Amino acid sequence: MSNANLTPRLTEPTPSDPVISARHLDFSFGEGDLEKQVLFDVSFEVGSGEIVLLTGPSGSGKTTLLTLIGALRKVTSGELFVLSRPLHHTSMADLVEVRKEIGFIFQQHNLLPFMTARQNVELMFQLQPDVSRNEAALLTEQLLTSVGLSHRLDYHPARLSGGQKQRVAVARALAANPRLILADEPTAALDSQSGRDVVTLLQELARNRGCPILMVTHDPRILDIADRIINMEDGRIHSFS
Amino acid sequence: MSSSFSVAWYQLSYHKVKLAVAAAGVVVAVMLMLVQLGIRQGAMDNSVAVARRFTADLVVVSPRTKTIFASAQFPRRLLYRLGALSEVADITEMYMGQGRFRNPWDKLEFPVSIYGIDPQNPMMNLPGLERFQERLQLTDYVLFDGLSRKNYGPVLSFLRQQGTLDVEVNLRKVRIFDSIDVGISINTDGNLFMSPANFLRMFPERQPGSVDVGLLRLKSGSDVKHVRNQLRELLGAEARILTRDELVASEIVFIRENAPLDFIFGMGAAVGFFIGFVVVYQILYTEVTNHLPQYATLKAMGFSDHYLLRVVLSQSMILSLLGYFPGFLLALGLYRVATNAIQMQFTMTVGRALFVFALTIVMCGLSAMIAIRKVRTADPADVF
Repeated sequence: MSNANLTPRLTEPTPSDPVISARHLDFSFGEGDLEKQVLFDVSFEVGSGEIVLLTGPSGSGKTTLLTLIGALRKVTSGELFVLSRPLHHTSMADLVEVRKEIGFIFQQHNLLPFMTARQNVELMFQLQPDVSRNEAALLTEQLLTSVGLSHRLDYHPARLSGGQKQRVAVARALAANPRLILADEPTAALDSQSGRDVVTLLQELARNRGCPILMVTHDPRILDIADRIINMEDGRIHSFS
Repeated sequence: MSSSFSVAWYQLSYHKVKLAVAAAGVVVAVMLMLVQLGIRQGAMDNSVAVARRFTADLVVVSPRTKTIFASAQFPRRLLYRLGALSEVADITEMYMGQGRFRNPWDKLEFPVSIYGIDPQNPMMNLPGLERFQERLQLTDYVLFDGLSRKNYGPVLSFLRQQGTLDVEVNLRKVRIFDSIDVGISINTDGNLFMSPANFLRMFPERQPGSVDVGLLRLKSGSDVKHVRNQLRELLGAEARILTRDELVASEIVFIRENAPLDFIFGMGAAVGFFIGFVVVYQILYTEVTNHLPQYATLKAMGFSDHYLLRVVLSQSMILSLLGYFPGFLLALGLYRVATNAIQMQFTMTVGRALFVFALTIVMCGLSAMIAIRKVRTADPADVF
């Protein structure tokens, strides 16, 4: 197994451009009388290779912000650049293209239960037509090995522990060869040891690949991995630390 | 194998029981459609089998005749005029009637179709008739259809043992001297073949001068429709002349109008289609609903709606195939059972097999189309 296969897929860090750049973002749910604004004038940047945690009480708008950055919702007001692409005033098809460059890790692992760890990870290579079937198989094994699951390749999610499932999810997110990783409370459903393992794993990968991570979390045990912490309250950025 | 197809297969095959139920639903649907359409076609084919057996080019019947199974008579002398046209090579006449056959074992009477045909020149495709030409000329000697219903008693086994069987038909004693396999239909339970003379003995009220069917063979190379038009003028209003194909067509129309075959069996097939549709829809819909978060996750990661639609559509195609082939084999078995039970011939045709295959694809595809609407509701923003 050589690293030569992986090397060309590594994203070149571009220190000049921020990976995420938000300016005066507002966002509301509903319309008319039912309209409820959840984000107010949010502005921040995330540089390449940074690990940024997004914290704050429930309802503070963290997750909404994450879905906007993940191109899962349309930006209605303000400006948002992700990976140097504008997400305001774009079509749905463009949003889907942006998603392909982002690795998502969710609170629930959301693996397809009817597919093995290997199949779940390998599926992601469908979005990368330039990767051949053989390469995809090889990369899948490398990724699952790198998250410590080389002995669970052909297990269905039902036969994996919570921590193992979340590690498959990490491997799946990385299979997209992402230039940005978005994580939504990835440790919330895990015990402290498994949670720590997953976070450490993410940290290593971010360092090795120069891939920035934006992570929503409530978990005080993992705050130490952050380069920066953005604190949100009532839809506004309360503090940077 | 495409990736969406693989995903579809992993999803369907993960729960084996569910897959078996879904496939069983399609099996039942396929079987019902094949059997219902098969019986419909079989009943139709058997009912026009007599008309199809005519080897004549042109057929003359009474203008009152709707079907040859309940024919009115026309004067035989009209047929003699037709020889005037040089294209006419041969003419023969046929008597048909419904008689009452008394089962010699239980002494009950059953209706039977009786054909008075010229043994030398029947102009009817009755394989094996040549062997009986001489005995058919004997007084009150009749030939029994070996494919007749069991109503008439164990005639065949008796013939095999004793050679002949004396029975009572229309209150007249006649001798069955052998059998020939022809076939029955929804119009008739059994057939007796005999010479015109014996026919007239059995129906004393009938006049030899009034016949049921006239059969004409033309010289080869004749324009059948053109000759028919010329002969029509010769016949005038007392008889009607048709080509053999026109007769078959008009017999089919009669069956369609008199026996609600299309409705009954068409409805049966529609019920099969509906059962399959509902079962497949249920399975696909619950599969989509149960995996909505996972589907939404795939969307969040950049998979298009289109990809997920292909997954669901592939599932429906897999179910079509898994259901069709067992359903087809089951239908073949049921054709055999029905052939024995109803004593009519039912056969699978390539056309019907393909038609039902297409219906199965449509049935599963339609269920998928409706289940797919649910996929669109998978909102990737809801996953967080």
